[in-house]
Amino acid sequence: LSAIYNRFCRCSILLLSTILLAGSAVSVQAFPHTPAPPQTSQAAPSPVVQTMSAELERSMPVLKNATPPVYFMGYTLMQTKRAQVMGSNGALLDSSENLERWLEVEVRVGSYELDNTHKVGGAQPAFEPSPGTAAPLDNDPAVLRRAIWLETDRQYRAAAEALVRIQTSKDVQAQSAEDAAPDFSHEKPHTYFGATADYQLDRRPWEQKVRDYTAYFRQSADIINSIVTFTAQADNQYQVDTEGTQLQFGQVRYRLELFIEGKAPDGMDLNRYYNFDWVDPKEEPSNEAVMAAEKTMRAELEALVKAPLVEPFAGPTMLTGRAAAVFFHEVFGHRDEGFRQKDISEGQTFARKVGEQIMPDFITIVDDPTMTHLNKDVLLGSYPFDDEGVPAERVTLVDHGVLKGFEMSRQALKGFPDSNGHGRRQMTFEAESRQGNLIVESSKKVSNAELRRMFIAEIKRQNKPFGLLIDDIAGGFTFTGRAQPQIFKVEPLVVYKVYADGRPDEMVRGVDIVGTPLLSLTKIIATGDTEEVFNGYCGAESGSVPVAAVAPAMLISEMEVQKKETSTDKPPILPAPAHDSQGGKQ
Amino acid sequence: MIRAGRITFAVSSALCAVVFLTLVSAPAVAQQWPSAENDQTLRAMHDELERSRTRLVMPGLDKPFFIQYRLDDLDLRSISASFGALMSSSTSHNRLMDVGARVGDYKLDSSNFVSGDEFNGFMGSSGQVGVDGDYNSLREDLWIATDQAYKEALDSMAHKQGFLRSLSQPPEVADFSPEKPVVMVNPRVVPDWTNRNWEEEAKQATAGLRAFPELYSSRITYTLVYETYYVMNTEGTQVRKSRTVAAVEANMETQAPDGVPMHEYYTVYVDRPADLPSPAFIAQQLDARAKEMIAMRTAEPMPAYTGPVLFEARAAAELLAQMLGPSVGGSRPPVSTMPIVDQLMERLGGRSEWTGRVGTRVLPVDTSLVDDPAATDAQGHPLAGSYTVDDEGVQAERVTLVDAGMLRNELMSRRPGPDFDTSNGHGRNVILGDPRAASSNLIFRSSKGMSSADLKKKFLDECKQDGRDWCLMVREMDNPAIGIERSDDREDEIEALAAGASSGERVPLAVYRVNVSDGSEELLRPGHLLGMSLRELRDAIGFGNDSVLFSYSQSQENNIAGTALAAFGTSENGLPSTISAPSILFSDVEGREARGEMRRLPLVPPPPMQ
Repeated sequence: LSAIYNRFCRCSILLLSTILLAGSAVSVQAFPHTPAPPQTSQAAPSPVVQTMSAELERSMPVLKNATPPVYFMGYTLMQTKRAQVMGSNGALLDSSENLERWLEVEVRVGSYELDNTHKVGGAQPAFEPSPGTAAPLDNDPAVLRRAIWLETDRQYRAAAEALVRIQTSKDVQAQSAEDAAPDFSHEKPHTYFGATADYQLDRRPWEQKVRDYTAYFRQSADIINSIVTFTAQADNQYQVDTEGTQLQFGQVRYRLELFIEGKAPDGMDLNRYYNFDWVDPKEEPSNEAVMAAEKTMRAELEALVKAPLVEPFAGPTMLTGRAAAVFFHEVFGHRDEGFRQKDISEGQTFARKVGEQIMPDFITIVDDPTMTHLNKDVLLGSYPFDDEGVPAERVTLVDHGVLKGFEMSRQALKGFPDSNGHGRRQMTFEAESRQGNLIVESSKKVSNAELRRMFIAEIKRQNKPFGLLIDDIAGGFTFTGRAQPQIFKVEPLVVYKVYADGRPDEMVRGVDIVGTPLLSLTKIIATGDTEEVFNGYCGAESGSVPVAAVAPAMLISEMEVQKKETSTDKPPILPAPAHDSQGGKQ
Repeated sequence: MIRAGRITFAVSSALCAVVFLTLVSAPAVAQQWPSAENDQTLRAMHDELERSRTRLVMPGLDKPFFIQYRLDDLDLRSISASFGALMSSSTSHNRLMDVGARVGDYKLDSSNFVSGDEFNGFMGSSGQVGVDGDYNSLREDLWIATDQAYKEALDSMAHKQGFLRSLSQPPEVADFSPEKPVVMVNPRVVPDWTNRNWEEEAKQATAGLRAFPELYSSRITYTLVYETYYVMNTEGTQVRKSRTVAAVEANMETQAPDGVPMHEYYTVYVDRPADLPSPAFIAQQLDARAKEMIAMRTAEPMPAYTGPVLFEARAAAELLAQMLGPSVGGSRPPVSTMPIVDQLMERLGGRSEWTGRVGTRVLPVDTSLVDDPAATDAQGHPLAGSYTVDDEGVQAERVTLVDAGMLRNELMSRRPGPDFDTSNGHGRNVILGDPRAASSNLIFRSSKGMSSADLKKKFLDECKQDGRDWCLMVREMDNPAIGIERSDDREDEIEALAAGASSGERVPLAVYRVNVSDGSEELLRPGHLLGMSLRELRDAIGFGNDSVLFSYSQSQENNIAGTALAAFGTSENGLPSTISAPSILFSDVEGREARGEMRRLPLVPPPPMQ
């Protein structure tokens, strides 16, 4: 019956975007450190912060003496102003702007060591109320306080129920060393009041642009559908908690996404995607830059439609920087998230490997949310404070091939008692350790031309007729749970056969990479010298968060691919109206 | 286009305010619409429909025998406020399309079949399309959607035929009714949001509630819709109709000192934004409801009861909306490979109590029941459910369902049923959902209606005969779709409602104890009324001559049929409807206190409201 009840729900639904990564290439000599701007120029606390603090001070004295007692409480109010202009097939789909305020209350009962968030294997989840509530758009303190008060009571009730279940669970008594780490780390409180982030925008020019950008795709008979979306988003986050943290900070992000779909003659779904991200309105991409991207997308889709299917293959593989960045994000970045080392339902791939060599000694990996740009490219995974109020930190995850640490939230691990500012979430989700800007650095760099020569030499050395060049990867998904096989499956979208005998490269389609992550990381032979940036929104347990991944091209001695499942739905029976010789277009 | 499902729309279907009307009988072959029209949307729909009708076929397989295009152009304004503070304000313009294709024939086609094997297509047969009225892009979107709809139909037909062969007795009722094509192109509506300051009104209407610190929460939502709806099919139907609707929906919630959750609601549904009441009027209504709810907090709970119950006219109309909903429609159910679907329907009371009983007495002999979509007002009062052509492009008909207590007819969409084969123009849908037979303006009358004084006297006489000191009177029924803001917090209440669906459990909102000696009234905290099915209505012992019109948003989500949850939707998920009913006296109704475990009160006292 629950499906029926769900339809009755009036609460707001946040759409989750799946991971879509794309980017642009830049040439860098070394990584200039451009940390987030030192936040000296503080503004005054907003009335929102004042109201939240007043309510926190009123209710905590009562709740810390309740049974069970509250030991930590925090409020977050997210103000989101978002404009969206979307076009498809030459027409405007939607042009709208919206302002929302969403309030969430985090209540923790028990203690830092063991609280209501403790994960217990096999236990039924406690009653979980949908988190959060709408907050008034004006700064009406009485109405905001009433919303906080009601939400606090809901969350306290749920937390108290959860703690009882956890304390009575047999599993709590029989824990592994990882589980024995505290549920919540002690952190220093921070106070920061930044200026309100906002944008000024006339949507009308964008309405025409999305029409024009999608009209271009109608010229190709292979493009069945096109969607172009422009968004401008100003997020302002207000946080207070009982440890004394008081924060207000905001970010404006602009994004243009291009997406086209087609079908191969056997029915396989094909698509191309490209995005531009910028934070300063002056950095808006020119029409020329957009049209150049569109031409490439069109040419790739048309080639994919004609391309033969890949055959199962294991052998030398080269990833361009863009593909390598996504590969590391999926294969390494997700597995190195701290909470996965603790959760007994997880694979804990790296839990006991700290200090061990897990990849070639010329590879170093950091995650650095304090970097806002890499040269001229914006890095989407930058933020001053994470969603648990901890300042973002640059953290070295792998140093010359040796595993050094994890992306950490306030969920502590044995040997890693502190957060490093990677507790992130989308509103309505609980924060978990996540990537920000994942940066793969190499000390064995050769020019991309030399890397290709090494690639062909490696193909010959292995006596293979060809190797695979992977030019673009769509996020895909990674199994990290213990119940699933420890394999990864990323979806390469643009793949070429590179022949040893000098024939021109040949595009193939339907490629799935398979294999085990630890093994593939050990087989990197060398890297290129040109780092490429990917920006995207990554979806995982704590929702969709903006991230970046940076890597140079990589040569891997062996990678295994298989043929992707194809759709049973054949291409459309009739030709597109615009390409119908018997009449269609008017 | 964007696939349906990727984007959630908060939109409402709306009622019909037809201005011009050209009802033409058309030949079976699609033809041009009236030449004066230069609507690129109509042109694109027509041209792509013609191309599909004449050329769309998968080699070696059946051609579609029927294709239908529906397109919904929606301008929506939505504002909400709480205690005088603005909570949200949005304006949107969207266009949605849906393509339906059928293979087989009218007797046995690819529809009316539920199985676990869903067609796994490329883009689907519905989605969001351009708002420009651009010819080329719409043809492109319709092209893909038609292709998908046709393949979906072929797939479903193959599964259905396989399944039917395994049945000893396949259904005899046809799948689809052939209908006379209708050509009607009405003027489009142009939205105007500027005539009133809706944000300011929403704030003004709710600011007064700050005076009630007992209220935990309250919310008012204004929803204004301008809609142009297109439906075109290969039989030659070409319809463009426009409508507007405006709604105010408000709730307030609190908890009694003993932990029982309480709520109240207030709604207005009108056919033009300009007809919405003033903020001062709404504030007055909310004030009265707040006072009533606060009185109910400390009122005595409704005790266990068996005896006469008088439903005042408004409560009677709200009760009939719930009781009649599942039974007035005569369409067949789908064939299902999953017995669970049937069992679920049965348990939820989703089966018509009237199907197969045409010509028998189903209501008291002095009563009649008529559904009249063509009527626009009743004695000068506007009706919310009016339209001239239904959402399947069939001309609306006035239907006499019950005459002198005898069942004569049923409301029909193009899905036939055991008793009737053809549509009578009652196929209605919300935002391009599956059209279902639904009521529009449902009028229940008694030819022997008594004055209020006489009915009350009869009520008290019945009580005396029963030897009772007091009896129950219901002034208003609950509307949980509006009254409860967060259903996830109130699951136990909703579950209780669902559990009682098949046994006719009903939830009143305002219940009074009437003292037999002096007729005085005393407010009670509402409980549940049991066994209130259509049989009880047949045995009702008295009616007033005080009919009221009750306009509401009729849920089309088909959940827990026969309960308030299925009868009442919100302006976002329901069909504007009106029901007219007089006060009704039932001789023997069972009631009991609401059950469930009570939550403790919040540990922290409420913050100051000033």
